[in-house]
Amino acid sequence: MNNIKRGSLMLFFIFLIPLLSGCWDQTSIEERAYVVAIGLDKSKSDNENQIQISYIIANPEFSKKEAMTTEPPMETITFDANDINVARNKANTVVAKEISFNLLSVIIVSEELAKDKNFIRWMYDATKEREIKRDTPLIVVKEESTKFFKQNQPKLESRIHKYYDLILKYASKAGMIPNSHSNLGRYYRITQADASLFLGIYGTSEKSEYKRSEEEDNFMAGQIEIGGESNKVQFMGSAVFKEGQMIGTLTGEETRAAVLINEGLNMGSIIATYKDPFDDRYRVTTRILQKEDIKIKMDLKSPLPTIDVSIPLYIDILSQHSMVDYVNDSEKRERLKQSIEEEVTNTYNKLIKKTQEEFKGEPFGWSLIARKEFLTIKEFEDFDWMETYPEIDVNLTVKVNIGNFGNQSKVPELEEMRD
Amino acid sequence: MNSMDSTKGKIGLKELVAIIILNVGTKVADNTPTIFYEAFGTAAWIGILIIGLISLIPILLITKLITLYQDKNLIDIILHLFGKHIGFVLLFTLCILQIFTNINNTSIYTDIIGTMYFSKTPTVVIYLLLLGVAAYGAKKGIEYIGSSAWVMLFWICLSLLVILSVVFVQGEFNQIFPILGTGGLELVKGSYQNSSILMDFLYLALIASNVKSATIYKKGIWIGFVIILLAFVLSLIGYVMLFDYYGVRMFDYPYHETIRYIEIGFLNNVELLFFPFWLISSFIRFAFYLYLGALLFGAVFKIKQFEYVVPALAVFTILAGLIPESSVFSMNDFRVIFLNLITPIFLLFPCLLWITAKLKGDFKNE
Repeated sequence: MNNIKRGSLMLFFIFLIPLLSGCWDQTSIEERAYVVAIGLDKSKSDNENQIQISYIIANPEFSKKEAMTTEPPMETITFDANDINVARNKANTVVAKEISFNLLSVIIVSEELAKDKNFIRWMYDATKEREIKRDTPLIVVKEESTKFFKQNQPKLESRIHKYYDLILKYASKAGMIPNSHSNLGRYYRITQADASLFLGIYGTSEKSEYKRSEEEDNFMAGQIEIGGESNKVQFMGSAVFKEGQMIGTLTGEETRAAVLINEGLNMGSIIATYKDPFDDRYRVTTRILQKEDIKIKMDLKSPLPTIDVSIPLYIDILSQHSMVDYVNDSEKRERLKQSIEEEVTNTYNKLIKKTQEEFKGEPFGWSLIARKEFLTIKEFEDFDWMETYPEIDVNLTVKVNIGNFGNQSKVPELEEMRD
Repeated sequence: MNSMDSTKGKIGLKELVAIIILNVGTKVADNTPTIFYEAFGTAAWIGILIIGLISLIPILLITKLITLYQDKNLIDIILHLFGKHIGFVLLFTLCILQIFTNINNTSIYTDIIGTMYFSKTPTVVIYLLLLGVAAYGAKKGIEYIGSSAWVMLFWICLSLLVILSVVFVQGEFNQIFPILGTGGLELVKGSYQNSSILMDFLYLALIASNVKSATIYKKGIWIGFVIILLAFVLSLIGYVMLFDYYGVRMFDYPYHETIRYIEIGFLNNVELLFFPFWLISSFIRFAFYLYLGALLFGAVFKIKQFEYVVPALAVFTILAGLIPESSVFSMNDFRVIFLNLITPIFLLFPCLLWITAKLKGDFKNE
């Protein structure tokens, strides 16, 4: 009896094995071509309904540690197609494997296409494709994406899928780009809600005129002069989308400011410099931490709606070339505080003015906070946040708390030393 | 020996609760949330609470009847209260409704598996496998379904909890505002129309005599009820936090979009981690549905060993479920209309039973 039972159990398990193959959907890894980046450009042909699509296909052989191959790390193909989905089949005219989007790391769009009024139509194609996930980051590049791909030769991380993951992670930690969460899902969500603006990651491989400014980060991608033999590609700043269409850009500093007052985007600690109140020639390098949430109060029911924002910042001083003794002198510390507060408030006022006058919408995700003021969806839609925002009076207060002064808090007195 | 006989084929509290949670609870993972968001917007979670409130009366009445007629299930009670002829008509109606619900749901689940995971596999094959496994379970009987539900319950709940906690970390809480969604009156109206979401609680009375005692049955129903409402509320808030009400309305299956969207640490493609649990709970759910269908069919046509109806019923379900051309639209639309249609039955039928029992004077024996 026991033997029969055991035997039938064995048979049962053997019959289970074919099920593991996943029926018709089985594909072996070797037969798949993994697309890690999709590039979208305006088509060069006259056909308005077509776009130019590029695929970066990673070479899985390249990742193997033990058997290095002489094959290149990736392959780029470019062609015109009606949409992302049909492009998959078209790609098979040259690629001898099944195209898979399972490992897609980024979607890269040229600025020209992003500014097209029909851009949103192609973006929604991605929702139909099962393998394109909503957590794929959206990057806007200044030039054509094909050119961007050609120029993008990372020196230290040649596995291309890893490169995108890592650079977005660390660039957003530094607050230079909106956040790795500025992905497709967010794009759809903000576009559909039609109340706020979406910030996409901005990058380029093209060097524009270098801007030497006294502030550290008031740049767009391409404007920073970086020497040495590094990759030409830079990611900095953000592309502003209104109703699914790109309408402008924010510089690195503006992006950082926008990220700081957006409750939905969390950032790590970022490094920024501010004027030294005791010596105009120098700037103080600081590490900004967001330990407390910003407080936003809205009064939307009155005829003149107002928003009060208070931003608490925790700042560590990392360098001070003026060598002023901030550590022991609380009065000097107080002045430094005030000076930073003023500077930050100024930046914000400029940014808010820009959003109200130039973009006529806000990228800070404030529409979500505004929703709290309304009971029903209809009331909120009648208020029309996007239309009302430019008229709203925004009052900003910045409160700076100075934390520590680096590992070694004290600096020698220069005057005495040089004596 | 005798004592063994009396408990044979009977399930205890934990099995009952597991069956309830897996059968009603899996609805948070199909197209039910979309129906909610259509009707209530951001206030979907308030909607399910109102539905719970509305359903309190029928569920209360049913459990009253079950405790009154110890060792009788809904079929016996209907036959007892209404006699052979009217009883036959009522049971026949319930049977048709149950089979329809099953066809509708299985076809939606087949579509989920087909569109979200196995896009190249023919629908027939998915349907066959889904119902093949479910029929095997149903044929084995309620004890089997109960214990497999209990075994899997912990893992399925754990997977849902993991998903929800990730969603609550990654989502934006402010998206649940405006708090009242589509507005007060719409909320009440929508809740009334969709309260048949909890219709399963009526059908659960069919297995009342398979539960060890009426007290256990009563306890199980209420424990299950509370857990289900909790799961619904949390998931409905979670989906909105992740996708916003406007986006989530456009999805056919929010749960599956959720597990595709969330990121857990360094892991990509986490949906493959959660999909198997969902699949197993679907198997158990349809096993139970098929079992109920066969039970009712057996009651209507006087088939004592109704388990033998299961395979035929499964084949019929597959054939009927394959008819619609595009099941996303036809079956989902049908489900919305169907839910609205059967709501009065869910709300009034228990009242009718209770009043009849009252008029018959059965409550005096208590």
